[in-house]
Amino acid sequence: MYLMKKNDVKKIAKALEEKYTLYGPYVDEAFGQCFFDKVTADNVDLNASIPTNPPKHVVFPHLETIMQYKYDKTTKKADIAMVFDDTPKALFGLRSCDLTGLQCIDRFFLGQEFVDEVYRHHRSRMFIVANTCVVPFKQCFCVCTDSGPAAQEGYDLNLTNLGDSYLLEVGSEKGKAFIESFGFAKATEEHLKQKQKLVEKSITMFEDIATESKAWVSRVMNRVTTGFIKEEVWEYIGNQCIECGACSYVCPSCTCFNINDANTIAGNTERVRTWDSCSYEGYSRMAGGHNPRKPIEDRRNKRFFCKLSYSQSKKYLRPGCVGCGRCAWVCPGDIGLPNVVTYIRREIHE
Amino acid sequence: MSYMPGVCTFCGTGCGHYLKVDGTSVQGVFPSRVHPVSKGRLCVRGWNIHELLGTQERIIKPYIKDSGQANYQDAIARLVSALSSYKPEEIAFYASPRSSNEDNFALMKLARLVFKTNNISLQAESGHRNSLDVLYNGTGFAGMLGSLEDIRKAEVLIVAGMDITTQNPIIGSELHYAARSGSLLITIDSRMTKIAKLSKKFINIKPGTMRIVFDAIAHYIDKQQWSDTKSAHYEEYKKYLATVPFDSIEKETGVLPAEIAFVAERLVKAKSAAVFFTSGISGLSYDTVASIYNLFALAGKIGKEGCGVNPIAGINNLQGSFDMGCAPDLLTGFQSINDATAKKNFEKKWGQELPQFKGKTVEQLLADSSSPLKALVIVDHDDGIVKYADRLKALPFVAYIGAFTNKVADFAHVVLPITTYIETDGTFTNAERRVQLSVQKCDNAFDVLPMWKLCDTIAQAAGKPFNYQSASEVMDEIASLTPSYEGISYKLLSKKHGVQWPCTKKNHDGTKYCVPEKVSFVLPQKPYAAVQATQEYPYLLMLGKAQHYWHQNNIMHKTFIPLREYNATLLLYPDGYVALASEDAKKIGVRDRWPVKVVAEKASMKAMVMISDDVAPGTAYVPYFIREGIASFLLAYSDIVSQGEEATIPVRIEKV
Repeated sequence: MYLMKKNDVKKIAKALEEKYTLYGPYVDEAFGQCFFDKVTADNVDLNASIPTNPPKHVVFPHLETIMQYKYDKTTKKADIAMVFDDTPKALFGLRSCDLTGLQCIDRFFLGQEFVDEVYRHHRSRMFIVANTCVVPFKQCFCVCTDSGPAAQEGYDLNLTNLGDSYLLEVGSEKGKAFIESFGFAKATEEHLKQKQKLVEKSITMFEDIATESKAWVSRVMNRVTTGFIKEEVWEYIGNQCIECGACSYVCPSCTCFNINDANTIAGNTERVRTWDSCSYEGYSRMAGGHNPRKPIEDRRNKRFFCKLSYSQSKKYLRPGCVGCGRCAWVCPGDIGLPNVVTYIRREIHE
Repeated sequence: MSYMPGVCTFCGTGCGHYLKVDGTSVQGVFPSRVHPVSKGRLCVRGWNIHELLGTQERIIKPYIKDSGQANYQDAIARLVSALSSYKPEEIAFYASPRSSNEDNFALMKLARLVFKTNNISLQAESGHRNSLDVLYNGTGFAGMLGSLEDIRKAEVLIVAGMDITTQNPIIGSELHYAARSGSLLITIDSRMTKIAKLSKKFINIKPGTMRIVFDAIAHYIDKQQWSDTKSAHYEEYKKYLATVPFDSIEKETGVLPAEIAFVAERLVKAKSAAVFFTSGISGLSYDTVASIYNLFALAGKIGKEGCGVNPIAGINNLQGSFDMGCAPDLLTGFQSINDATAKKNFEKKWGQELPQFKGKTVEQLLADSSSPLKALVIVDHDDGIVKYADRLKALPFVAYIGAFTNKVADFAHVVLPITTYIETDGTFTNAERRVQLSVQKCDNAFDVLPMWKLCDTIAQAAGKPFNYQSASEVMDEIASLTPSYEGISYKLLSKKHGVQWPCTKKNHDGTKYCVPEKVSFVLPQKPYAAVQATQEYPYLLMLGKAQHYWHQNNIMHKTFIPLREYNATLLLYPDGYVALASEDAKKIGVRDRWPVKVVAEKASMKAMVMISDDVAPGTAYVPYFIREGIASFLLAYSDIVSQGEEATIPVRIEKV
C-alpha cells in the first residue's frame, strides 16, 4: 500500500506503456464521449466519466479473425493456422464494474471444461490497474450487484483518489514487483480508513433507486429464479424490444458470439468471431428449423434469466449483471436492466 | 484512440456512431451518445455496419468486359468513347440514394455538363418524390417539415402505415420514448406492427384506404368548424372534402366514426402534432400524401415547434440525392430545370448551356421497350433493376460504378470501382434535412478513387475537367448553386452533428422546423381507388418490408449477423412467406409453414404460410422480397407495386 502524488499516475502509465500496449479511458476530442481503448500515458484520463464502451473488446473483440486457412489445389494441402493475439496489454484505470465484468467473462471462457485458447492468449500477460469510483455516475447501481464502487479483487494495482493524493493498493505479486522500484511512500491504516470513508460517501451518492434498498436486484433474482413472473410481464417487456442486440454488445459480462468463414481477396479463408446477442431470432434457431425461443418475449426473458437467476450465479459465483447501467443508455425500447428490475418489482408489490 | 465519429449510412435516420478503425480496416462500431437524433442508440443494422465495411466482397480493379481487368485510364477511355457515340436522349444515369451529396452532385454534373443528358434518376424515385412534390406544392419546402429532434415535443404523434421500428428503428424508438413520457401515439395501419403495439391507439384500416381515412378525419374537423385555416385553396379543398364517403366510412375502411372523431378532436386540440409516413421504395401515392398533409394544414399543425408532416426516407441519402438534382426535371435544392434564374446560375458557373430536352427516369426508359435508351451508367445499386434483366442485357452499353460486388455489374461492359464512404469525405442528408459530414476515416487498401474524383477524371477524359481537389470543394460548388445549402461548408459542419437546411449565409444554424411563408392545400389528382376483395379473390394482399430483408438485401448479404438473421427467416420459409390470420389459416386448412399458392387475376406465386395475428382476417401480407417466384408475381403487378405501401392486390389462397 503506497501513497503517491497525483502527477505520479502518469509515471505509472509511462512505465506500463514501455512493456505493454496501454488501454484506458480517454475523451473523444470532437464530441466529448469517453471510450476505453488504446491510449498513451499522455491522453489517458482517469477523471473521465465511466467509458461508454466496456473494456471487453480488448479481450473479446467485436470482430476478430481466429483462424486462417488456405488450400493449395496443386499440392492438395491445406494450411491451417490459428490466429492469436499475444501482445501484453495493460488495462489502466478500470472501474470496478468493468473489472467484475472481465472476471465474469474469464469464468465463461477459461473457467469451464473447454478453455478458449483465443481468449486465453488475449488475457495472459495482462496487467490491471483499477480505479475506485469515489463519485458514482447517474446510471450506476453496482452497489446492488456486489461489484463496486471499489474493486475487491482481480487487480494488480488499485488506485483511489484521496483528493490531494492517490492511495495505491497492491493486489498481486506482479503488481508488487512492478511498483517496488518507484519508491513511493508507504501508506498507513489512516489512508485506508480515508479510502473507506470515501467509498461509503460514494455509496450515499448513488441514485435513490440503487440505495434505498440494496436488495433491489437480489429480490428480483429470487423472483426470476423461482419462476413466479407472470407471462404478461415478459410480454410487456418483450413488446418493447426492437431486436437491435445493443444490450448484449455493451454488457461488460455478455459473452455470446457467432462464428463465420469468409473468403478474402488474397485467396485465403478467414474464420471470424463476432459478438452476438440472444435478442436475435437466428441466435437460438437450431438446425432443422426448431427455435425454442422464437417469440421476442422468450428471447428477452432469456437475457434476464442469464443475468438474474441463481443457476447462472452458481456458475459464475455472482449475478450476471455488474450494475454499470450501460444497457439503459443504449436501449431503443427503454428496457435496460434497471427498468426490467423495476417492472418485476412492481409486480412483486402488486 | 481508434474510435472515430461518423454517420451511419443505412437508413434515412442518420444516426451518429463511432467506428473503431485500425489501419485500413474497421473493427467495430459504437453509438454516439451525444448525437441529437440517435442519442446513443443504433439498430441491428447499425450495430453491425463494420461487418459490411470490412467485407472482402469489394470491386478492387476496373474491368472491361472484352479484355478483363484494366486500369482506370483504359476503362474510363472506353466509357467516354461509348457514351460520346450516342445522342444525349440515348444515355441515362442511374444514381444511388446511398451516395454522398458530393458524389451525386458530381454525377449529376457529369450527366448534364459532359454528356448533355437530363436522363438521370434515382432508385426509389416514386415514393419520396411524391412526398416532396406535395410538401413543395403546399409549403415551398421539399423535405420533412418537422424535425426528428423535436419528436418528444409533440403532444400527438401519428404513424401512418409504416412499420417504423423495422424500417427506421431509431425513429420508432424515439416515438416510443415520446409516448412513454406522455405524448399520444396513434398508429393507423392495416397490420399490427410493433409501433402499433406500442401505441396508445391503434386504428386498423382496410388495406389501401389510408387516403379515405385521413380525408375523413379532415372532413370531421371541417364539419365541426374546428379549423380557422387561412391557407390557400381552402374553398376547393372544402368542396373536395364534401365528396368523402363519411356516412359509409366503416364499410369502406373498417374504421368506426367514433375513432375518426377521436383522432380529429385530439389532433385539433393538441398544441403540437406530427405525422410520420414511409417514403422511398414503398412510399405513398401523391394523393395519399396530399390527404395527410392537408389534414395537418387544416388542423394548423404546420410551421410550429413540435409539429411536422414527416416523410421518412428509408435510405440514408435519399433526401440528399433529390437535393442534388438527381431527377430529370430538377437541379439542386429542388429547383426546376425550367426555372430561368437557377438555370442561368448553373450555366454561368459551368460555362455551358444546360440540356434542353425533357429527360426521363431510368425506370421509365427501361420499362418502355420502345424508348431510345442505348447506354446506361449505374451507380452502387441494389438489385432492384434486375427485374429488367432482358432489357439490360440487350443494351449496347452498360457501365457499373460501385464499391461492392453486385449482380448488376454482370451486365456491365465497363466496371469502375470506387471507395466506400469511410474512405473519403462526404456529406449525407437525412430524412429531417440534416446535412452531416462524414470525414475520411481510413485509406482504402486497393487504390480506388472516390466517386466525386472518378466523375472528375471521366470529365477530364472527355475534355471538360471539373478540377476538384477535394470533396469540400464540391460542397462549395453545391452551396454556390443551391439556395437551401447556401451557408453549408465543411468548415461549418466539422465537429458538429450536422445542420438542417435551409441553411443560408445569414442563418448558419439551419432550420429545425420549416415555417412556410404561405401554406396552401394540395388538391388530389385522382379519384379514390380502394381495391375491394371479391368472392373469387377474397383476401387483400399487402406488400411490405421486413427488417432483415432490407430492400433487395444486396447489402445485408455481405454481413454476418444481419445475414444470419435473414437466413433464419429464409430457412423457415424458403419460398418466402405469406402471413395470414389464424382464423383464415383454419378456414383454408393450412398450418404454419405449409405451402400455398397465392392466386391473383394476372399472376400467381408459391409461398409458405406464416400464421400471424398481426394481420387482420381477410388480409394477407407478403414482405418485399427476393425470391424469383415472388419477383415475377410482382412484375405482373408492377403498376400496383409502384403504389408502394398502399399496393393492394385481391388474391385467393389455395392449399397445395
